[in-house]
Amino acid sequence: MTTIFLFALLVSALSAASAASNYHESLNLQPFPPSSLLASFNFKSNTTQTSFEKQHFQYFPRALGQILQHANTRELHLRFTTGRWDSESWGSRPWDGAKEGGTGVELWAWIDAQDDETAFAKWITLTQSLSGLFCASLNFIDSTRTTRPVASFEPAGDHIGSENLHLLHGTLPGEVVCTENLTPFLKLLPCKGKAGVASLLDGHKLFDAAWQSMSIDVRPVCAGTDCLVQIDQTVDIVLDIDRSKRSRANPIPRPVPGDKLDCDTSKPYHARDTCYPQENPGEKAWSITELFGRSISGSCPLADSQGSDGTVCLRIAPEREVRPSPESVETRSSDEFTRCFTPPPSTAFDLAVSEHKIQSTVPLDEPVLYAERTIVGHGQERGGMRIIFDNPSSSKAVDFIYFETLPWFLRPYIHTLQATITGLDGVRRQVRTSEIIKETFYRPGIDRERGTQLELGLSVPPGSRVTLNYDFEKAILRYTEYPPDANRGFNVAPAVIKVSSPEAGRPIYLRTTSLLLPLPTPDFSMPYNVIILTSTVIALTFGSIFNLLVRRFVTAEEASALRAQTLKGRLGGKIVALRDKVRGKSSKVE
Amino acid sequence: MVSPAALPPLPFNPSRVRSYLLRLPLFTRLVVLVIILFWLLELQTVWSVVQWGSLIPDEIGLSTMYRLNTYPVIHTGFFHTFINLLAVTPLLERFEAEHGTLTAIALFIGPLSTLPAGIYLVIEKFILHSNTAVAGASVWAFLLLGSESIRTFKSNPYFSLGNYKIPTWTSPLFACVLVWILVPNTSFLGHLCSVLIGYLLGLGYLKFFVPPEKILRWIEGKLNLLGRLPHYVSVDQKTYGRYGVLPTAGAPGGERGTPMSFLGGSSMALKSSIRKLRNNPQFLFIRLPYILSFLCIVAGVVWLFLLPLDDYSRKNYISENALLPGQVHAYFSGSEQHIFRGYKKELEGLLGNEGSEEGQKNEERTPVISDKIQSILRAAGLKVATQEYEYTSSGISHRGENIYAIIQAPRGDATEAIVLVAAWKTVNGELNLNGVTLALTLARYFKRWSLWSKDIIFVLPPDSKTGTQAWIDAYHDMQPSTVQPLPLKSGALQGGLVIEYPFNHRFENLHIVYDGVNGQLPNLDIFNTAVSIAGGQMGIGTRLQEMWEHNGSYEKRLQTMLRGMVKQGFGYATGAHSSFMPYHIDAITLQTHGNGWQDEMALGRTVEGLTRSLNNLLEHLHQSFFFYLLMQTHRFVSIGTYLPSAMLIAGNFTIMAIALWLRTGYSQGSPNVIAATNDEKTSEKSPLTSPDKADSVEQETTNKAAERQLALPLSLVVGLHLLGLIPLYIFNNLSHGNYTLATLISIVTNALLPLLLAALLSRNSTTTQQTHLIKSLSLLLLGLFLSTLATLNFSLSFMIGLLCAPLSFVHRISAETAPVLRYTLSIAGLVFLNILSPPVVLLAGCAYFGVSVETVLMEAAFGWDVWGMWTQVVVWCVWWPTWVVGGALVGVSLF
Repeated sequence: MTTIFLFALLVSALSAASAASNYHESLNLQPFPPSSLLASFNFKSNTTQTSFEKQHFQYFPRALGQILQHANTRELHLRFTTGRWDSESWGSRPWDGAKEGGTGVELWAWIDAQDDETAFAKWITLTQSLSGLFCASLNFIDSTRTTRPVASFEPAGDHIGSENLHLLHGTLPGEVVCTENLTPFLKLLPCKGKAGVASLLDGHKLFDAAWQSMSIDVRPVCAGTDCLVQIDQTVDIVLDIDRSKRSRANPIPRPVPGDKLDCDTSKPYHARDTCYPQENPGEKAWSITELFGRSISGSCPLADSQGSDGTVCLRIAPEREVRPSPESVETRSSDEFTRCFTPPPSTAFDLAVSEHKIQSTVPLDEPVLYAERTIVGHGQERGGMRIIFDNPSSSKAVDFIYFETLPWFLRPYIHTLQATITGLDGVRRQVRTSEIIKETFYRPGIDRERGTQLELGLSVPPGSRVTLNYDFEKAILRYTEYPPDANRGFNVAPAVIKVSSPEAGRPIYLRTTSLLLPLPTPDFSMPYNVIILTSTVIALTFGSIFNLLVRRFVTAEEASALRAQTLKGRLGGKIVALRDKVRGKSSKVE
Repeated sequence: MVSPAALPPLPFNPSRVRSYLLRLPLFTRLVVLVIILFWLLELQTVWSVVQWGSLIPDEIGLSTMYRLNTYPVIHTGFFHTFINLLAVTPLLERFEAEHGTLTAIALFIGPLSTLPAGIYLVIEKFILHSNTAVAGASVWAFLLLGSESIRTFKSNPYFSLGNYKIPTWTSPLFACVLVWILVPNTSFLGHLCSVLIGYLLGLGYLKFFVPPEKILRWIEGKLNLLGRLPHYVSVDQKTYGRYGVLPTAGAPGGERGTPMSFLGGSSMALKSSIRKLRNNPQFLFIRLPYILSFLCIVAGVVWLFLLPLDDYSRKNYISENALLPGQVHAYFSGSEQHIFRGYKKELEGLLGNEGSEEGQKNEERTPVISDKIQSILRAAGLKVATQEYEYTSSGISHRGENIYAIIQAPRGDATEAIVLVAAWKTVNGELNLNGVTLALTLARYFKRWSLWSKDIIFVLPPDSKTGTQAWIDAYHDMQPSTVQPLPLKSGALQGGLVIEYPFNHRFENLHIVYDGVNGQLPNLDIFNTAVSIAGGQMGIGTRLQEMWEHNGSYEKRLQTMLRGMVKQGFGYATGAHSSFMPYHIDAITLQTHGNGWQDEMALGRTVEGLTRSLNNLLEHLHQSFFFYLLMQTHRFVSIGTYLPSAMLIAGNFTIMAIALWLRTGYSQGSPNVIAATNDEKTSEKSPLTSPDKADSVEQETTNKAAERQLALPLSLVVGLHLLGLIPLYIFNNLSHGNYTLATLISIVTNALLPLLLAALLSRNSTTTQQTHLIKSLSLLLLGLFLSTLATLNFSLSFMIGLLCAPLSFVHRISAETAPVLRYTLSIAGLVFLNILSPPVVLLAGCAYFGVSVETVLMEAAFGWDVWGMWTQVVVWCVWWPTWVVGGALVGVSLF
């Protein structure tokens, strides 16, 4: 449902945008019981291809535009994500996972270049520049972290006349996304987060969310021959309503006073000091000001609000009471759950939602596939990877591409790849991998040069669970290859799953969680201590004594006498004598 | 003991060192002896020798003047003693050899001790106004160095270094500075004072202290000191030479022919005995291994008993800075207690529903209770899953269902997790209702916090023995087929805590259980964190190893340590936490104990504090010790200190094995020759004129290298080790009813098997060489296994080592012994060995601890099947085969 709803928005925005350069922003809110709220911010600006090439930027951010031109990048996708999407409680992903990345930073781009080397050089230029622009460690995306996926990604834009497009993909699973990435993100917006829905984006609340994803997509959109360059920025967050409502002055979740507990009074033992908490407390009341700590400060004057229902949309049970600020315009959409509001242009806008004992809930879309990836086994030498795919549908098989990049120090044994399938009857049985895996693209890693790239085309039968297993070996790193920070282990990038659904047209993306790979690690401090201590002692005492013992102390005369004895000395003497002779002769001749 | 076999030549030439040591003059010997005596005296704790005799400036009064003389022979520890002895002995020997014993005594007991002391006192007390105690023979070492350096200076004034000329008399000063820098706790001033006196002595200013030669000579002559005292150095070196003896032309030459310093016939007996000792391979190859083995065992045991002393154990400290124990405020209190009571009433209500007509409540976890627990966890917002498992051991089936729930860290990425376990039944089988309720309350409370960097997993198994094992195995995908895989998982586990609160009243203190399966231990940091949070922040006392009263005395510490060693040695799981250890996850159990005023909230706050500490971790716990023996909550011994104990015991077998191997390499000489000579074969170059020569030559001809007949010994030893697999298999696969019978049968079999083997061996007319080889190989394997085991499971290795210790010393009794004596001895030996056989020891242990054999063996089989315990393997494949070999060797002498 969400999908269709958002997609409809997207299409309407698109149709409105195709004319000329414009800017559009929206915010969609959807509460998830018991106490979460998905807030989905979307900002979209267009500029014509011609003005983009002439470096005439109006809504399109100049900083990014120049980088893209310099790096010959035709299409760019950048993701900053933290946390994990809880599909059990929150249903399917916003935007069908298309605007989401794996934990950390993920970047892929189509670069126009003659050959692979030039493309890679441009790619490095791109990552270095973006690294500076977004204050992220994107410059650490080197050859070992770069892959060229074959089947997992398709260009989202219309590339007319570009023949030599190269897709490059890189991830930084260990990157911690925080406010220093948000600030440059907001700077790209025409209203810079000062007005419109972007004014809600405050680092404190944003990064207190349970899950959060920021994305930037740049792509060319063409209708016939006139092309637009479109930048699409989204911020999706899932807030914990209880936690966000806590005041800044008292952020510690202390135990509430005894009389404020929400107890189940029907229990026979219920007393003043005995409380069995209510199992279904219902949804709490909330307002935008409570959750985000501020209200929406008007609307962005640059935004073009024509052709859409409203800027702030809420997807909520129809009987729930919503109190928007006065002067705002409310429109109800055709499905009974969605209400949209257009904030007044210059005054602050707030939205309060009443509390709600659960009677009817907004139906959640069930994800088409559940995927889980974990490392199994133990020990310093070997391990195993286990990937579980769960098809919840009882009628349709799911076909998808499974794509993972593994760092070079994790060496998979693909021959150990095994598949087990658990059917509706709950019986596990081993199947030949060829029954599940339709096609394989495997590019083995090279130590210290590139990681392993594995793309599998899989099909999971209806109502069953498929488990893939393979073993791997952990490489031993050189001691300089360990990062200088506390050694918690090495992050392995999340796997990307692309489910191609024929009816929706666009593919659905899923990502697993990232993994932590413990490698054999020496205790660095101990050898250093020992080395430093022993070297000092040896250098000070042994060194000087040894030096005194082996050195021969002789007078200068003795030394020259000794030198005359050696082969070198004798040769030198001969040469001198010879030279004297020659000189003597030549002088005679003269 | 045994008839002397043919002996190999000496593998080294110890006579140089020995002759130097044996030639040490009288006074030097006395000083060395006194120094060692005082060091030994210092080992006891009643009377501190150091306090009594060292030079403490403030303690010096008229009645304590003796300190001025005693301080050089008193040392503070083994290394101090050892290093000073090494330094002073050669110097003193030289001095005494040059000046005579009497002069040395007069000088060293008198002015050469008191003068440096005096100067030191004056400077230290009146100029520096401080009070540093000094002791040790280094004062003499530096004094003598000083005087030597003056003499060197006279003959060789400069040491030239390029253009610089360094006077040689400064060398003791350099030594002094170097020692001061390199060796901690040395008194620079004290050494300087002694060097100063040394200079004075060397320059001859102290000559007036030396008693006149005339008097000395008179004393010497009157008392006939030269004749009476061995090693005495006369004043009159001109007459008697440096050692009181003039070199004679006929004296045995070579490096080992130097005679002792004695004159006259009075010490001829001594001479011959020393000489025998020195020249006797018999001693080196037959007696010495036994002595060394015995010493190793004694030293190993004594070492263990030294460990509880303050000098050998260390104070606990937290090594991982990230843990920050007790640095956060624990908020678990107030209305959370209402919730706790509510949950508890709810569970109690369900508990009463069944079996109430019998008067006692059914304490098993029924499906109704499981559903309630799951619904509580779900209502608290956790992800809940279950896992069913079944294990079968000794014909008994253990089945159950684990419930577990995960708090997903907000913004976390499922890479790391902490585990909290509350089993429905504690390890002692009691109902852990408070613990489970506390875990549920904590789950609801923790869910509200956003600071978790790791997921928190609450595991609620139905019992403490199987549940966690099934869960952790499945977590790593290592489970047997009877255990379900886990439907829900998180990241790498960083630590585990088990909560046990099996009674309804308030508790007094916390009992921390830390032993894992096979004697593995959690990182010491997690234990220390628990102690420091419980004790330091919450004010709850902590106990370990069921030592409820611990006053820190030696006895209590020893008892704690031994209890820990017994648990470690048996290697069984001591709680739900034990199953985590094989996966390198550090976990401990917190058990409440006693009747005091701490309530469940205090326990909850402790758990909160610990979880917060673990949450702080950036890296897996690795900083602190994984091998330790705890003897108090804040004292431990690390592996470097305790390991030599088990290693010495394991080493005794290896020493014996090597000695036997060396002995078997030479063919037997005729026994009467060896008995007659008792002398080392001497090299033919030595100008021997005595009749010994003939004998030794003859012996040399008989003492040829012999071929070792290895087939029988090797196959016997290897076969017996493989045979151990049979009882191992039987005992692990029997049904639980048959254990007592099986033990009795195995005792009888054990009594008969060595005799059977002995009969077979004697029928095949086994030679002495072969019996030696059998013993050698068997002991070699034992030593190898035990020393390897000592690094993995110290306690098990130590216990098996002690139980096997007699096997080093039993051997085939020579056929030449009188039959009566031989039979009595061998039967007594067999009876003794049977007392130490594995099944008899098991019976005795069970009787001592008051548990039935069946329980122990069931636990052992359970451990083998479920926990992967390998104590049995050590018993049946290491201990038992060696024991059988020992028994067979004694048994051979019967036939």
